[in-house]
Amino acid sequence: MIDLIQTLGSGVLVGLVYALLGLCIVIIYKASEAFNFAIGEFLVIGSFLFYVLFFDENLPWDKALPLGILIFLLLSFILFFDQNLRLLLALFLGLMAGSIIFYVLFFGLNLPSLIASPILRFLIALPLGLVAAGIVGAIVERLTIKPLLGRSPISMTIVSLGLAFLLRASVQLIFGSHSYSFFLDLPDITLEIGDFLFLSDPIWAGILSIATFGLIIVFLFRTRWGLAIRATSEDQAKAMAFGINARFILLIIWAISSVCIAVAGIMISNFGALSSLSGIVGLRAIPVVLIGGMDSIGGALVGGIIVGMCEAIAGAYIEPMGLIGFKDVAPYILLLIVLFIRPYGLFGTVRIERV
Amino acid sequence: MLAIENLRVVYHDVISVLNGISLDVNDGEVLIIIGANGAGKTTLLRSVSGMIDFYDGDIIEGDIKMGGVSIKGIDATDIMKRYGVTYVMEDRPVFWYLTIEENLGAASFSRWDKRVKADMEEVFDYFPVLRALKRRRAGYASGGEQQMLSIGMALMTKPKLLLLDEPSLGLAPLITEELFKIIRQLNETGITIVLVEQNAHAALNIGTRGYVVEMGRIVLDGKAQELLENEDVREFYLGSGEKERKSYKEAKRYKRRKRWL
Repeated sequence: MIDLIQTLGSGVLVGLVYALLGLCIVIIYKASEAFNFAIGEFLVIGSFLFYVLFFDENLPWDKALPLGILIFLLLSFILFFDQNLRLLLALFLGLMAGSIIFYVLFFGLNLPSLIASPILRFLIALPLGLVAAGIVGAIVERLTIKPLLGRSPISMTIVSLGLAFLLRASVQLIFGSHSYSFFLDLPDITLEIGDFLFLSDPIWAGILSIATFGLIIVFLFRTRWGLAIRATSEDQAKAMAFGINARFILLIIWAISSVCIAVAGIMISNFGALSSLSGIVGLRAIPVVLIGGMDSIGGALVGGIIVGMCEAIAGAYIEPMGLIGFKDVAPYILLLIVLFIRPYGLFGTVRIERV
Repeated sequence: MLAIENLRVVYHDVISVLNGISLDVNDGEVLIIIGANGAGKTTLLRSVSGMIDFYDGDIIEGDIKMGGVSIKGIDATDIMKRYGVTYVMEDRPVFWYLTIEENLGAASFSRWDKRVKADMEEVFDYFPVLRALKRRRAGYASGGEQQMLSIGMALMTKPKLLLLDEPSLGLAPLITEELFKIIRQLNETGITIVLVEQNAHAALNIGTRGYVVEMGRIVLDGKAQELLENEDVREFYLGSGEKERKSYKEAKRYKRRKRWL
């Protein structure tokens, strides 16, 4: 019995991270009815951005310089053609951003030498990393998703598939395909009550994930921007007719989504190591959202916890019977069962039918 | 206030819907646009409100001027913010999964300030039905309530020019009557209204001037009262003419007066 509770507890903690991944998919799906298959790659990029800031990773100039120039070109392009800024201003802002990127990548931020306390360093690097992840998400949205606004959601889904390959290859090109050791050195909050033992890292992961989840919910349901996002999610044309800039809302959603993915990515990397293949974890979001319901935020939370527990149970009880790797399959089997009973997922929206 | 000059609009680069339409809207009037299905009434409103891009339509000729300034090609949200043009789409454009209060809040997104709450109360004063339902999801409201809500949402954007696309669509005659009364009241508060309607009789009764659109062209214009009495309008849009019955053979276009075309 103690064993079971222990397993379920750990499962829930990991499940909260999965719930966050699910949330990222759900908010994009709600807004544009597109499924973001590039979630794993966003996860890796977010984690690497944080890694660069936190661990003071330097890149050789032959990688940092092209990246800086790329950022300069992309940003100037977006500012000039999309935001209709003056050419010189756009070029100037782009150049600024590009040189900051180059500086950070080439010389490093030197946080470890400036700030000794790892927790303080974490608190500084995390927002910076998340902002960077949000900007990456926004740039990607502007370049690939925005031109498709008003078209079929299928085309956005296909674009996200292509993005997954492009981004994965880019990350491999820049950071190589070897593993980076990832140790956050957060304060030890290992919980030991009676016979139960919960490790520090999963607890941190659970806390940060649920906090991020809560912040997103508050943002969506308590602020006017959240209201605009929910309105746009329902119908882009109606939202535009009432003065909500649907294009900008879509940009915000992608930025928020990539910020959440980055949080989840940092937490997942903290369990082990970070490499360009960490993105596989992103696939775990698929059973999460399908079990919970593609368009339900609460469903993402429940789905994440269910998948986490299912994985933990399969890992603790079924794998020792000789079925190695069953842990990775179990959520999908559960998914099949759920879909048989409720095709829209557990919390998929009940369509309003007026009589 | 609004002047449309020789506007031509093409959807998907091939379907020509508006073929050189020209009209102008004066300050403080209720302009009625009537026409058969597919005549281009909705497209006209979409072009004015800047929504035409979203539907993959292009303005290939002509100009739309708001107070002398061209608003052609400006983003829908900018047109609303800068020129106070609010477009209420056809078929009750409310957000079904938001509550009625949230709907009004979402509509005031473009001009969020301290007065939103007061304005919301004002809308509830116009439509007392909505006050009782304000915590209910809009999708569960009846058709009439939804239409009132959508006009209320339009009011939240503080429009100077209100483009209404078939507000009476699918509503019972009594509710339509009430709605038109409210539209009239709105006009008296100083909002200029362009009303596109199939229900020509009711619309012309509250309007000051009217245009008849056919095949993407204006074929007739005049004071609303004149249009009501016009024999052809009576025959084709009001369903009653001098002769009680006319065979469809005679209803063909070329039988009508030449000066229309």
